[in-house]
Amino acid sequence: MKKLLITFLIMFTFSTPALAKLNIVATLPWIGSLASEIGKDKVAVKVLVKPSQDPHQIEAKPSMILAARNADILIYNGLDLEIGYLPLLIEASRNPKVQPGQAGNLDCSQFIKVIEKHEAVDRSMGDVHPLGNPHYHLSAQNILGVIRGITQVLSGLDPEQSSFYKTNLATFEAKLKEKRKQWASISLTGKRFVAYHRFFEYLAQEFGFQIVGYVEEKPGIPPSAGYIEKLVETMRRSKPDGIITTAYSGKDEINALSQKTGVRSIVIPHDVGSAPGVNDWFSLMDAVLKSLQ
Amino acid sequence: MKQGIILFILLCLVALSGSAFAESTIESRIRVLEETLKKQEETIKAQQMMINELKEQIKKDKDGVAITAESKENPPEIKKETKATGLFGGSALSNPNISMVLNTYAYSSNLTTDELKNRGISGYTTEGIDRRNGFNLDAAELAFYAPVDPYFNLYATIPVTEDGASVEEAYFVTTALPEGHQIKAGKFKSGFGRLNAQHSHVWDFVDNPLPYRAFISSGDEGIDEKGIQYTYLAPLPFYTILGVEILQGENKTLFGSDAAGGAHAYAAFAKASLDVSDNATILFGPSVITGKTKTDTVMTNSDFTGDTTLYGLELTYKWKPTKYQGFKLQSEYLYRTQSGNLTDLTLGSTQRLDRNQDGLYIQGVYLWNRWEFGARYDTLSLFTDDYILDGVKRDQGRRPWRISGMADYTFSEFSLLRLQYNHDESDVTGKPNDELFLQLIFTIGAHPAHQF
Repeated sequence: MKKLLITFLIMFTFSTPALAKLNIVATLPWIGSLASEIGKDKVAVKVLVKPSQDPHQIEAKPSMILAARNADILIYNGLDLEIGYLPLLIEASRNPKVQPGQAGNLDCSQFIKVIEKHEAVDRSMGDVHPLGNPHYHLSAQNILGVIRGITQVLSGLDPEQSSFYKTNLATFEAKLKEKRKQWASISLTGKRFVAYHRFFEYLAQEFGFQIVGYVEEKPGIPPSAGYIEKLVETMRRSKPDGIITTAYSGKDEINALSQKTGVRSIVIPHDVGSAPGVNDWFSLMDAVLKSLQ
Repeated sequence: MKQGIILFILLCLVALSGSAFAESTIESRIRVLEETLKKQEETIKAQQMMINELKEQIKKDKDGVAITAESKENPPEIKKETKATGLFGGSALSNPNISMVLNTYAYSSNLTTDELKNRGISGYTTEGIDRRNGFNLDAAELAFYAPVDPYFNLYATIPVTEDGASVEEAYFVTTALPEGHQIKAGKFKSGFGRLNAQHSHVWDFVDNPLPYRAFISSGDEGIDEKGIQYTYLAPLPFYTILGVEILQGENKTLFGSDAAGGAHAYAAFAKASLDVSDNATILFGPSVITGKTKTDTVMTNSDFTGDTTLYGLELTYKWKPTKYQGFKLQSEYLYRTQSGNLTDLTLGSTQRLDRNQDGLYIQGVYLWNRWEFGARYDTLSLFTDDYILDGVKRDQGRRPWRISGMADYTFSEFSLLRLQYNHDESDVTGKPNDELFLQLIFTIGAHPAHQF
């Protein structure tokens, strides 16, 4: 027993080798992508959630805990999207830098204007996000806020690279301005879509289209047959421009609906890496807007 | 509209002047009227000019607003929302996260409730099964959790049963120790093995497997002890956690409260994990727990005092390509070695007892949409079954085993319905036990953690 203890103690005295690069752990691919835009080769970015995974349903895998252990900063979406695994992950990381309240714990939702905040919720309404709609990254306005926030925090953590980060931010902002001009010519105004999950509200707000119905009767709960029947009826009458969902959920449901109603189904790339050619936030937005036209 | 009013006033004036100058000559009246008209025209002109000016002003203001809106897209500094953004559920600081899990089941067995109560595993444990045919309430388990301050997180789990409330867990975890180090202390579930550290309501099956029943506890409480745990997450390329524990040693089957004066159980474990692919992960590792024992669960009407060491090996494999499909394989091997004195309480005679015994369970669960289907096989005396009383090795008879099938349905993340069937041949001299469970688990309050 004593020998075992001594062995453990010897192993515990190993210290982490000093790393020149800032270790960034991002929960979602788009967050990792933004961090890379700012940090470029001065940072090492590790993304926890795969673009193929449903961000609501992630388990705190040991490899994710290990990544958080080695992080200088943990950047996440917030608004309870990561509620199932992030508190657990942060505690199990045994890393004081990423604990709540520390500079290395960055909630991106603080930089955006949240919509759909609920005053009173209970779970009979489904798995509602009471703090507001957490799917805010398909919006240029929000991304601008988030990337500025990330730049500010990274500059604080790594003051030596501050001007490098700010230059990269300026490049990003210039490209964004250019892209927004380009996107302004895309007309989605007045279009009406039926969505699987409340994933596209910020996008709809920014591009002036409407989401007229949801395939999920209640957030996070698959729809009942009766509800689908009603939805089919409504859709046959109102003829929306499409049924939209993300690659990770509701594909079968929207395809079935499409067959019944004749309304086309559209699987929208929801995050960086979720479709070929979608390798940063700009190409993600390009792909999203293209698929909606 | 304005012009209308002016015209109306004009008409009134005309009428008034008409009466005022009733006695004037027609000419003078016309002159007066002309003058008045001239004045009115000037007034209208002036008013029109003002209207135009105002219109211009409004237009300017509008443009101004548009310009401001444009510039708002590039605010000089980042606006931060002051509201808590809810990493820990968005609740106010004054409230800890509170949840309640209701675990209840209907049960049917070919054995009577008395037979179940006395159904130990011969040579292993005398502890029976605390279940009744019909309806059973496992517990309404209250859980509290919140950061205490920047240095500690605090947890308490209080299962409320029909016998009252008890403190299953109440411990703190450090959050501010340097990288990789953590201390947990209070009353907590030991990190020994895989199932032990989990609450029974997150298990894939209703009940614990035979090796746990034989070596750890007849119910689902496991090694749940007062003590202190130290863990270290090593800076290696793959996940490796090492832990040691000093425990009071009150577990009835393994140790016993009166086995020694102070804390008398010690545990150590290591767990490693690898992502074998994007969607598949394995977790494995050894555990050991050792301590002084004083228990009456070895043989009826007898007390055992001595030393016990339990070794464990765990392996978990999870594959989950999408949220609609997945597979879990889990297995644990336990080996117990024990030596001491067995005292017959009626005769007062004492004999030396040495036991080296083992057991294993293996279970697989397949996930399909909102369904899970599982199978489990558990057995004792897999490689060894030494029961040596006074130097004489006892013939333990055939090997105890059990097989289970399970299907569950998840209505939402917060409610689950499970059907399970066990065919239990653990009582080698008695009847088999064919059991059927219909279990319901509900969670309200704080969002449950998605543990691996």
